[in-house]
Amino acid sequence: MNLFFFIMSILYGILKFLHWPLWNWYLYGYPAGLWIMYFVDAIIEVVLVFAVAMLVVVILVYVFRKYMADIQNRIGPNRLGPWGSLQLIADVFKLIQKQDIIPKNADRIAFRVAPYIIFTPVILGMLVIPFGNVSILQLMVVNFKYTLLFLVAAMVISPLGEVIGGLSSHNKFALYGALRSAAQDIGYEVPMMISVLSLIILAGSYSINDIVNAQKHIPFVIPEILGFIVFFLAMIAKQSIPPFDLPESGSELVSGFSTEYSGMRYGIIYMGNFGFMALASVVVATLYFGGPVGPFFNSVLWIAVKSAVFMIIFLLSWIALGRVRVDQFLNMGWKYLLPISILNLLISSLIAIYFGGAF
Amino acid sequence: MEKVVEVNFGPQHPSTHGVLRIKVKLDGEIIVDAQPVIGYLHRNAEKLSEMGLYPKALIYMDRLDYVAALNMELGYILSVEKLMDVETPERAQWIRMMMVELNRIASHLVWLGTHGLDMGMLTPFFYCWRERERVLRIFDEITGSRLLYNYFSIGGVYSDLTPKGIDMIKEFVNTFPDRLEEIQSIFQKSYIYAKRTKGVGKLTLDDAIAYGVTGPLLRASGLKWDLRKNQPYLFYEKVNFDVPVYTNGDVYSRFLVRVEEMRQSTKIVKQVLEKLPDGDFYNKKYAKPMLVRMKGSGESYVPTESPKGEFGVYVIGDGSTIPYRVRIRSPSFANLQAVSIMLKGYKIADLTATVSSVDPVFGEVDR
Repeated sequence: MNLFFFIMSILYGILKFLHWPLWNWYLYGYPAGLWIMYFVDAIIEVVLVFAVAMLVVVILVYVFRKYMADIQNRIGPNRLGPWGSLQLIADVFKLIQKQDIIPKNADRIAFRVAPYIIFTPVILGMLVIPFGNVSILQLMVVNFKYTLLFLVAAMVISPLGEVIGGLSSHNKFALYGALRSAAQDIGYEVPMMISVLSLIILAGSYSINDIVNAQKHIPFVIPEILGFIVFFLAMIAKQSIPPFDLPESGSELVSGFSTEYSGMRYGIIYMGNFGFMALASVVVATLYFGGPVGPFFNSVLWIAVKSAVFMIIFLLSWIALGRVRVDQFLNMGWKYLLPISILNLLISSLIAIYFGGAF
Repeated sequence: MEKVVEVNFGPQHPSTHGVLRIKVKLDGEIIVDAQPVIGYLHRNAEKLSEMGLYPKALIYMDRLDYVAALNMELGYILSVEKLMDVETPERAQWIRMMMVELNRIASHLVWLGTHGLDMGMLTPFFYCWRERERVLRIFDEITGSRLLYNYFSIGGVYSDLTPKGIDMIKEFVNTFPDRLEEIQSIFQKSYIYAKRTKGVGKLTLDDAIAYGVTGPLLRASGLKWDLRKNQPYLFYEKVNFDVPVYTNGDVYSRFLVRVEEMRQSTKIVKQVLEKLPDGDFYNKKYAKPMLVRMKGSGESYVPTESPKGEFGVYVIGDGSTIPYRVRIRSPSFANLQAVSIMLKGYKIADLTATVSSVDPVFGEVDR
């Protein structure tokens, strides 16, 4: 059963219990009551996704802090709540209390909008991920023919927020951060698209659901190992975490595009980054490792385990590696990732032609 | 429209190691011109030293290069002792040598950690701090302070080594090389680090000599010049150690030089522990009440090898108990001049790498 119908039937039950048959309400011959129910349903779904994303972010930030502290011979947060688990909540409250500073010469509207743009793809991307089934309930918010295209389109939004935020800050460091963000985008997005394209060829469909189903026997990481490498590196670059944290590059440009951000706006950027890390690991697990499809049984458990592994790998990369220079990154993108992804496209086309039935 | 953008890096910037301000002219990401601007931490150490008695100037020396305070004290004390013809007992000199080398390790560890941060590596910082903490505990045990020691006195040191302190030093010396190996491998085995530092911030030997650059920078540029070897003071000719030299003159060779220096310092400390003689730790003729009455006349300068380079204090005495002139030759000040030629033509990302490879400490630059 679809999540939409699930929520719809609950709504129906509640309204029936209240003796308030909204679905029978017509306005000028249009089923306006039904439309309202659809709308409420959609809002509930988005809120649900938002809540799940936030929960994952909270857990991820906590794990990040503790894991990083463990590697660095520290204890990490240990004061608030059991084992310091409420530290992030306290941080959020601290950020909310802070004075809201917008630079004098900043473009105020753009400056305010940018953090939300960075956060958007977390929600939009999570909408189309199939999380598997819980008995008959299918945990997927939206399902249509072109979900993979939608996912890619949603994921490329966040660098736009970085560019807008950097340019509108009226600060030279932020400007340089924005320029780097733009350069970095172009560097990795083309190879990323091409490796996604080879997935589409291999699965013969634009739908993530079909891609997941195609990996019933062999996960795509085996025929698509080159594409996986490209996509994985692109995902690291997209989150702008070390070694590819060029837009923010803490020690060079004071804090890159987010130099002028403080208070809750910075908090939203921070949350967006961690949320994107969660999204990226889920996407990698879904596209290349079969998502909920796994050995022995298919379950939500599998996608949770797989994406947790990738989250840990992302965190490790954050903790252990230094930063590359911007020209080195562009070199990598254009000279190595692009040819590799094209080669991968060729290979997967050949596989699709000769072993088309295998997937 | 002007293509060149002028950006102020600092004085409040996360990777300027204090209060350095660099006026950078940027063409895109490329540095056209870079001028270091100093003076934000000027504390008048020279003039203050000329206003007090000879032993009282020592606390100002501590505050010059606060991560290697004992090295700073040594430069002043040696000059003053030469000025006054004070004899120092052997044990005191060995203790001084050992403490100075331990402080050199601590100073280089600070550098290595912050250099890692500048390159975007978060983790080595904590490993370096962990090791430095052990050195500071040793200092705490022996001198009573963790950062600013005021430990060397005219004619000796203020307190003898404690048995516990010797044990701590032994334990540190035995375990440190392995830990250093670990820290070094984080940098050296990282492809990203090597790529970012090799051939960056180049300083040719001619330029280095012309600008008066000393210390690890000079040795990374290819000249085997270490005052501990070339103009030995204390008992440096009696211990066995090597002077690392690399010829590339880039950030990577400076990293290698400093890491190797830490290893050699450990070796020196080990040998000092073996050779440490018994006896007085200060000259009984110059007991503490006597120190304030000491008069000096003439002039003296003893160059010493501090972690940053040649450090020396030029002292002129006019026969009174107060020095007539104290002039501090600080290594970071001279090294920092070369930053502008080291940066020209490189990218913004190389700026932090290069500036941190100079290892400026601003207490010492601005004095």
